[in-house]
Amino acid sequence: MTETQATGDKQKIDKWRGRGGAKRLQSAVEAAAYQKQWFKQIQERVAGGEPCALVSADAPQEIFRTMDIPYVVNQWWAAVVSSRHKAPDYLDLLHEEGYHPDLCAYCSLPLASTLGPPLADAPWGGLPKISLVVTEVTCDSQLKIYGLWAKKYGIPFYAFERTVLVDPHPLNWWDKCRYEWEELYQPYRLDLLVEELKAFIRFLEVTTGKTFSESKFKRVMDLVNEQEEYSAKTRDLIAQTVPAPISIVDSIPSVMIPQWQRGTEWGVNAAKMFYKEVKDKVERGEAACQNEQIRLMWIGVGLWFNTSFYQYFQDRYGAVFVWSFYLGLAADGYARYGDDLLRTLAARYVSLTEGLHIPPWSAAWYADQARKHQIKGAVLLAPRGGCVGRGDAYFTKKALEEAGVPVFELGSDNVDPRTWNDEEIQQHLSEFLDTRVL
Amino acid sequence: MTALVHLQHHYRQREQIAREWSESGGKVVGYMGVDVPEELLIAAGFFPLRITGDPAGSTMLADKYVGAAFNPIVRSMFNRLLDGTYGFLDHLIISNSSEAILRLFYCLREIKRLEPYPGLPDFYFFEFLHTKFRTSALYNRDRVAEFKNQLEQWIGKAITDEALREAITICNENRRLLQEMARLRTEAMPRLSGVDALQIIGASMLMPKTDHNKLLRKLLNEADQLPTRDGVRLFIEGSSPDHLQFYELVESGQATIVAEDSDWGNRYFDTLVDESIDPLDAITDQYHFKAPSPTKSTIQERVDYCVRKATEAKVDGVIFFILHSENPPSWDYPEQRNALEARGIPTLCLPWQPYALTDTEDLKTSIESFIQTLHPQKESSP
Repeated sequence: MTETQATGDKQKIDKWRGRGGAKRLQSAVEAAAYQKQWFKQIQERVAGGEPCALVSADAPQEIFRTMDIPYVVNQWWAAVVSSRHKAPDYLDLLHEEGYHPDLCAYCSLPLASTLGPPLADAPWGGLPKISLVVTEVTCDSQLKIYGLWAKKYGIPFYAFERTVLVDPHPLNWWDKCRYEWEELYQPYRLDLLVEELKAFIRFLEVTTGKTFSESKFKRVMDLVNEQEEYSAKTRDLIAQTVPAPISIVDSIPSVMIPQWQRGTEWGVNAAKMFYKEVKDKVERGEAACQNEQIRLMWIGVGLWFNTSFYQYFQDRYGAVFVWSFYLGLAADGYARYGDDLLRTLAARYVSLTEGLHIPPWSAAWYADQARKHQIKGAVLLAPRGGCVGRGDAYFTKKALEEAGVPVFELGSDNVDPRTWNDEEIQQHLSEFLDTRVL
Repeated sequence: MTALVHLQHHYRQREQIAREWSESGGKVVGYMGVDVPEELLIAAGFFPLRITGDPAGSTMLADKYVGAAFNPIVRSMFNRLLDGTYGFLDHLIISNSSEAILRLFYCLREIKRLEPYPGLPDFYFFEFLHTKFRTSALYNRDRVAEFKNQLEQWIGKAITDEALREAITICNENRRLLQEMARLRTEAMPRLSGVDALQIIGASMLMPKTDHNKLLRKLLNEADQLPTRDGVRLFIEGSSPDHLQFYELVESGQATIVAEDSDWGNRYFDTLVDESIDPLDAITDQYHFKAPSPTKSTIQERVDYCVRKATEAKVDGVIFFILHSENPPSWDYPEQRNALEARGIPTLCLPWQPYALTDTEDLKTSIESFIQTLHPQKESSP
């Protein structure tokens, strides 16, 4: 990058840094407060000598929960850093080491946040010292990023394999996955993941000195199911209520903060509170936008540096983003029931990526969710250089458009605002709404 | 005609021999991904043909599905599958040796279901895991056995252990001969250019192995007659282009590419299959524990491999040639560079390069400037 470009980028950031969405729900306010307190405790525990894992979003967090090992989710921390407008500063440190600017910012931002001297205004005081890293090898960058953590800091790295479902059927996986997962996901794939989980537990027992209680594991698994059933009820309520009681600006914090705390009593109570709050709104006839004209869906990861992006369209068009995959996946992607706990846990993770990102399952799910939510238009975010979504946009778009839902493709990063042009994107999306939806 | 000229001809003809094989009644199986065991295909009586892209060809059909920000070689191969170039194949095997190829499989699966193309060959997905754990090894052994069963269904008979052992012997001989050929490049005065080597190695994936072995033996017999080369000795890291444009550009100056880390180059024949154990286990192990590819290895594994190979080849410098949107080698680069430079080996990085090198003036200037800074080693010897 030339000096002129760098200066230009800096000016652009100074001019426009993104905006956070206002929290209207009490469940979101309380979750945000809890999250800060939880993170402070993690920092204190680690400062006191406890280990801390950095894990990808699709790593089996239930194991850490059962063993009471502090952990931070990589993508969650990326979202925190991005929402505090620190992504450009940190990513520059990575680029200065020679890493190409178009590499996946979402997954590498937490590593970038540990480079260079600590910032005085580091988000939430910065990451605690990480002592092990865990990921599933969902894309070719995962081994690199997590391996780099291991190399730079001399810490252990545990990788779960990503197996491939060669012949996904039936298409309506969301109707089968709670109980009929053995056939849905193929026994040989589950066999492998069970063996990997057994090895992982032993790995954690050895590296951290912590123990694994089967009875505690059962409690964690029950709590996750309980929490996700509340998520399903909330999602269904929003789907069937017109005008929608809340938008995704409200739902994302209320579902995602508890998601990262799943397997706890607090997570269940937070999901329950969120559900009751939405139900009360429905009963009182309150809506995110009383003048709701269009219901939209947001397909892709969160736009963490600009969570208020959606408000403009609500104000101008009565266009309400009522669906994102965060609540959708909490509702359909996690609850699993079975007698063999480890195998049940394997069934939660073995095909998470397929349901979310890989056609035909992902496309069929989006189309089904669009129909159930009475969606009139969709925005599909495809981050640059990212491991998610590459090559699946065409079939997602096709499935939705055949279901009568026009799709607007938005090529932008979700954590780094430097390529974001707020005015231009508002204009393009407005044109899409004017010409294809209204 | 010398063996080298024969091999150059076969490399440039690409799928021509396979087409002729097919027209004369033979069965041809195309494959995508460096994990597909050629030994199994040969044991089943198939002609294994590696699918290639075409830098001069269109990608219009593929762009519709994957867009421009997708691995450019895989995009080109995808286009050629859709445009009917490979319509003569009896079957196509696709492995998950890279995320881009896996994504291509997902697309083809949907295309077959929703928008079938008439020239698209019948395809089979061969899954292979890459973490070096025992759990992955056992999983791979089952997938290799399944693949063998599939081949047996296609040919209507069992593939015997004898047939497998014979195929392993043929492929190992090919690897040994290629290793001998590679030594001609790393001599104090190299007898082959990098451009020659890419053609010799690439021809192995485009013609019957037994014929390739014959030509390699002839080439080695003729080695004394090959002219020697001088200039600086270079090692190429990064992407694995399936054409010659970059090598031709580099060697048009005062330089010889004496080795590379590429699956169209030296990495193709780096390790042998163990001939003393059960053949299916030996094949599984070979593809599981072979030289580390950029897509499925950690940065540390890639650093170690790059440094070892560049050092063994006694190179004066290393050029990182990385194609546009190729994330894995881009992740490897900074640590590889650091490790090389710590050993006094200068590097040049050419990131995010186009698949087809049409406008090469700037590239050539960068390469020439780099070469001018290098100092040839006087006592280079194998």
